[in-house]
Amino acid sequence: MAGVERYDERMSILLSCYLDGELDRDELDIVVVALESDLDAIAEFRRLQAARRAVRTLPSLTVPLELVPGGHLTEELSAYLDGELDTIEMPDVVAHLDGCPDCRAELADLDRSRTAVRALPGLEVPSFLDVEKTVRASQRRRLMWPAAAAAGSVAAAALAFTIGFGGGAEPVSIDLTDLQARHTAIASVPSGVTAVEVSDP
Amino acid sequence: MTTALRRTAVVGGTLIAAMAIGAPWAIADDVDEVLDRARESTYTATRLTVSVWGNQTQVIRERVEHSNGAEMIRIDETWSMVGNGRAIELGDAPQGVAFVTDTRPISTNRYVTGSTEPCRHMRRDCSLIPILEGGTLRAQMVVDERTGAPLITYVYDGQGRLYRTSSLSDFAPHRMYEWSKDPSAVPLEIVMHGESDALADSVAGYVLGDVFPGPAGAGSVQAYYSDGLFSYSLFVMPAATVVAGFEDADTLVSGSSLYSMVHTARDVRVQWSSGGERYVMMGDLPPDHLEAVLAELPQPEKRSMFARLWAKLFG
Repeated sequence: MAGVERYDERMSILLSCYLDGELDRDELDIVVVALESDLDAIAEFRRLQAARRAVRTLPSLTVPLELVPGGHLTEELSAYLDGELDTIEMPDVVAHLDGCPDCRAELADLDRSRTAVRALPGLEVPSFLDVEKTVRASQRRRLMWPAAAAAGSVAAAALAFTIGFGGGAEPVSIDLTDLQARHTAIASVPSGVTAVEVSDP
Repeated sequence: MTTALRRTAVVGGTLIAAMAIGAPWAIADDVDEVLDRARESTYTATRLTVSVWGNQTQVIRERVEHSNGAEMIRIDETWSMVGNGRAIELGDAPQGVAFVTDTRPISTNRYVTGSTEPCRHMRRDCSLIPILEGGTLRAQMVVDERTGAPLITYVYDGQGRLYRTSSLSDFAPHRMYEWSKDPSAVPLEIVMHGESDALADSVAGYVLGDVFPGPAGAGSVQAYYSDGLFSYSLFVMPAATVVAGFEDADTLVSGSSLYSMVHTARDVRVQWSSGGERYVMMGDLPPDHLEAVLAELPQPEKRSMFARLWAKLFG
């Protein structure tokens, strides 16, 4: 009896390693033979599979920041300033900031940087490159033919430049691997499939 | 004695993948059953595919887990999943595409099967199934008796020369669950059926299976053609579309026309422009079929001197 128990225990370990893809060739042969003929081994294999499936379906857990040695906030600070933190994330981030002077200092630095960027003067398009302004000016000064003609020339030249080099539709860029994925996908459709099901194979 | 192949669905994929994944065509009687089993077979293996085109040889080695008409495929350390109308990349930025389509039954007598011979491979009982086209050997499959898996596939060109092989090693007749990411969590681009009047229903024996909106926005389409054994997709896009991946392409001379061509172990990709459209065609069709298909599609336009100069100056 004790011999049988040792055998079962070893087989259980082998089956577990089999599911992990950790068997060498000899061990794999043992498992394959057992799964073809040994009902107990098959039952044990199914039990292990079910257990693994159950583990895989458990919700993922995030380790709280305060439990991570040396863990500090990074992207969360930016999201915090932007008001983009999830409701679930907010308490953890606030709790961490309460107890972490380094992250509070980082948050203050980040906030100062943003304020400085916002205070930079905006850039304006030079008036001679602004087609609309040029055309409007030429319309207001109808009697000033030489000036209007000059403005019109500039506008026409700018318009031609825009259409010729920058104003047309941007050419679409496609990667060959994307096309290959699309072909592979459609080529794998079995007969009569009308809907897509997404699951493990 | 030969048996006519009756295709019942316009789906295929690369020959290798089709035999392993889709096995979409139906073959009369006993072979039909064999291919159905190939589609439904379950196994884990390392697949080596070698393809020779001209003086170039392309090789790809991939770890494959096949089950329920789909495959998990690992190349280097990246897993992907293909099957049942989906192709999903499970790399650092997982993404995928899924087609919703209703295949229509089409029959063809293009291929016939020769008599099936019993054989042994990897200490397993197998069947050797020859597939003929007009009396010429087009493919042979060594199929595992117990699982129905295609252990070896040979594909021949129009002169009966071997040009592609695919073989499984480290074969295990069950799943190994080697991947770690869940493909069901990957965001998918869903592609629905589209419309186009400009596409021929049949091109050199390949029948139009379905049409979909193309990936290059409005005006682009993807047309899927198959002859039951091989298949290709024809992408028709605006001429301004830039397709990355042809930078180091070879020049294919077919008839009196020149094309850009990239040859891989699994398939061939060809690009050209005609009538204000950019065409990209890719599939697993053999060289003689490719030439016949290209001859019936819009021919590459011969560019004027000004166009060549412009291309030289501005790309």
